Amino acid sequence: MVLTVLGVVLTAVALAALFVGGAGLSASAVARALAGRAEASSVEAIVTLSLRLPRVAVAVLAGAALAVAGVGFQALTRNPLAEPSILGVSSGAAFGVVLAQILGFQAGILAALGVAVFAFGGALLAAAIVYLIAVAPGGLAVQTLLLAGVIVGIFFSAAITVIISVVDFNRLSGVIHWLLGNLAPIPAASLALFAALAVGGVWLILTSARELNLLALGEEAASQLGVDAERLKRRVFVAAALLTGTVVAFSGPIGFVGLIVPHVLRSLVGQDNRFLVPTAALAGGAFLLAADTLARNVVAPAELSVGVITAFCGAPFFVWVLRTRTRPV
Amino acid sequence: MIRAVALVVLLALASPAQALVLRDMLGREMILAAPPARIVSLVPSVTESAFAVGGGDRLVGVSDFCDWPPAARLKPRVGGMVNPSLEAIVALKPDLVVGTDEGNREETFLQLRRLGIPVYVVHAHRVAEMYDLIERVGELTGRQAAVGPLVDGVRRRIDAVRAAVRARPIPRVLYVLWPDPLLVPGRDSHLTELIALAGGRSITAEERVQYVRFSIEAAVARAPEVIVLADHSSGASTAGRAAPERWQALTSVPAIRAGRLYSVDLSILHRYGPRVPEGLEILARLIHPEAFR
Repeated sequence: MVLTVLGVVLTAVALAALFVGGAGLSASAVARALAGRAEASSVEAIVTLSLRLPRVAVAVLAGAALAVAGVGFQALTRNPLAEPSILGVSSGAAFGVVLAQILGFQAGILAALGVAVFAFGGALLAAAIVYLIAVAPGGLAVQTLLLAGVIVGIFFSAAITVIISVVDFNRLSGVIHWLLGNLAPIPAASLALFAALAVGGVWLILTSARELNLLALGEEAASQLGVDAERLKRRVFVAAALLTGTVVAFSGPIGFVGLIVPHVLRSLVGQDNRFLVPTAALAGGAFLLAADTLARNVVAPAELSVGVITAFCGAPFFVWVLRTRTRPV
Repeated sequence: MIRAVALVVLLALASPAQALVLRDMLGREMILAAPPARIVSLVPSVTESAFAVGGGDRLVGVSDFCDWPPAARLKPRVGGMVNPSLEAIVALKPDLVVGTDEGNREETFLQLRRLGIPVYVVHAHRVAEMYDLIERVGELTGRQAAVGPLVDGVRRRIDAVRAAVRARPIPRVLYVLWPDPLLVPGRDSHLTELIALAGGRSITAEERVQYVRFSIEAAVARAPEVIVLADHSSGASTAGRAAPERWQALTSVPAIRAGRLYSVDLSILHRYGPRVPEGLEILARLIHPEAFR
């Protein structure tokens, strides 16, 4: 039921995103392009099919991946505030991307794969550091985990600034723009790679959902119910890092989606990760797409970074969650 | 695919003499079916040059920063240099987009090329490259005839400044591009060359990169005899105010003792276009007031 409603919402947002933008096309022109009745070289066909449609796809994929990564990190740490950007994992992945670009991975599908691998590596590294800082006898300390995430995030942001300042100062403003999260249409082959990696990550977490429910009872209780807690944690850890790294590689570090979406959904569908994962994927896609459509249009013809919009929503949300619900998931 | 090939063949047959191979300032080649008639400029100095050679009518869109000449402000805007709207550019149906490797993003160029829009990248860090840029803009806009007189005029004015300051003592000059954080021109900046043309020697001329985040201590230690603060406060925000009072306290600096701290709007000097001689004349008068009495 909820899945159907979310599917309808996602479709509606996608249609809205296809019909508005800086080019100021009429609704009938967009409809013509979507129906394939516009000439291939016409403005409406290029804007609708080569710019807006791939961007819609990127936004939906990135939003879904980030929301599911949020569900994964939250179940893993049993902390409702755990989320790729807050944990510093996005910054680690961004560091990987900048490093890959400096090393010469520029264009083409192999370069995209290389960048994704570096981003995954950076995400894993950052997540591992945060985990090692926060781990204490008897589990993860809630506040330490968040502080560790903030510190690791600051460290990797500083490392990015150092690399860029030393190697290529002219690119600094471009990189700062990208660091705020920047959805842009990507080539079809890269889009396919993005989709494959995102689906892989979501699949890993979805198939762990039942065991994650048991983990919520505590590691000891989960072990007594036959869950190999260490193996489960490694698997979800890798999957969430993969999702984060993939999104950062293809659209930059976008914050707070993994915080807002799972949280709202928990009040709608409850704590069961088996429902939470698929609904988070749909709702995350719809949320980020709506945010990006706003980002594309509020200062047209210039464009805002989508991360600005998600941060505007996410920061107050974080405070609210921190004040009202800081109890284990 | 077959249709595309047929289209190319048809184009080639229809206008064999019109097809045009261009090579931009980074050496990248592009093939145009015809001389560009609808150009989008993402670079203020390209926009200025286009109007200066009388080719402004070929521009169908410009960046938000293209504010000179006044006629440029009437052109459709496509957004900032870092974040232009691809949609807005596509909607203008350009047959060529002109960008720069200094201020625009390579990602923007990649995305435009993927959409089949050729991107011509300019790169000007030297006076010689400025002449080259004007000449190329003249070619792109079909106004080659106007290039010679324009470049000659620019060259004459620059030579006149050079002649006026020749054989005079060469003071140490600190040029402040941006007050906070302190940003100064380095070896690869055109400003370093312009300061030399104006008869001064930039104390930051040996810095390895184009623009340097400099420490105020190092600036004081090099004892500049003239300090020029670029004032950006005529723009929309007051962030770029030159704040000369901050420098007045540094009385160990020869420039401050001699009262040679200047705060001037030199945006025309920062932009590599046909207005550079105007800026150069102002700069030379600051460095060598005695030469222009």
